[in-house]
Amino acid sequence: MAFVNQETREIQLKIVYYGPARCGKTTNLEVIHKMIKSDHKGDLTSLDTVKDRTLFFDFMPLVADVIQGFTTRFQMYTVPGQVMYNTTRAIVLRGVDGVVFVADSQWSEMAANVESMRNLEDNLGLQNKRLDDIPYVLQYNKRDLPAVAPVHYLEFLLNNRGKRRPGFTSVATTGSGVFETLNMIARLVLHRFVRDSRRSGAAGQKDLQLV
Amino acid sequence: MESMDRTFELTRRDVNRLRRVLIELLDQSEADSCLVCDGAGHVLAHENVNRQDPLLISALGAGVFAATRELARILGEDEFSTVLHQGVKRSILMAAATEEILLVVMFSGENRVGLVKLYTPAAVDAIRGIFESIKSRGAEGDPSVDRNFVLKETADIFSGSQS
Repeated sequence: MAFVNQETREIQLKIVYYGPARCGKTTNLEVIHKMIKSDHKGDLTSLDTVKDRTLFFDFMPLVADVIQGFTTRFQMYTVPGQVMYNTTRAIVLRGVDGVVFVADSQWSEMAANVESMRNLEDNLGLQNKRLDDIPYVLQYNKRDLPAVAPVHYLEFLLNNRGKRRPGFTSVATTGSGVFETLNMIARLVLHRFVRDSRRSGAAGQKDLQLV
Repeated sequence: MESMDRTFELTRRDVNRLRRVLIELLDQSEADSCLVCDGAGHVLAHENVNRQDPLLISALGAGVFAATRELARILGEDEFSTVLHQGVKRSILMAAATEEILLVVMFSGENRVGLVKLYTPAAVDAIRGIFESIKSRGAEGDPSVDRNFVLKETADIFSGSQS
């Protein structure tokens, strides 16, 4: 859920990187943090275990000058991919404005990809949200590995809803595809925010429901 | 209304009301800094949070509080309404103003725990009152409200280079 502070002229938007364990969600944020200009980013904070697996979430604020007269802050999160951390995933998804679903392209991970996508839908359902109603993009990661499924198969498997969403191939470890994915989800989230704001017009906040 | 669960807005007046509550709390409790955030981790207002990143504190605070709420549920408790992390030099207290609004107070020294605990409930009540009034009225009459959001034309919002 976007937040507008009319006093500080600031808009805050929340983007969550979702996907199965070890698909490259944290790597995406690490690469963005490493490569993006310093005046566009805050610190990358990772709450992980001793084995460098995400325990709670990774968090990084990004700032952009994209809406006239306002500072736009994107709050970038990852969720832990391991199945046992579902409560944590549901917590991190609260108030999400856009999702990047990072899929592992390896044949061996197809079932995990499908399960994670189902899990995303279930957890959005806990907020009375539907995946079809929020901006999201897919990223087919690890394209440099030998035993990967073809992109058209991944599209068939994961991007098979009524409206096809943007999909990107990536090798997150090298940065390939990372910024294309980031820019697309940021653009989709911004357009949705502006559209919704215009639709609501001067309506009040009587129906306001905090996440 | 479809869009109303997608965007949450505070007017200049709302923010100033919140800030007055925070300033009073700092004054009474001798705490160092405090902020108000929501369950999504958005910073709604903050006071004196200069040395730390308010966005990060909000993100972590919202996460910690949500996890605490789950623990309460597992233990059969309705809610743990406050969470206190007490350190040797610095401490932090988080208190729920509503189901989705959180007050986070940061302070130094052991002897201030009592003061913070004493004055936080009144601040929580005041914050709850502000958000109830926000929910019960529209923002139409506030001249500071600007919903004319215009996207700038940019090829790429973010670009990266090896540093």
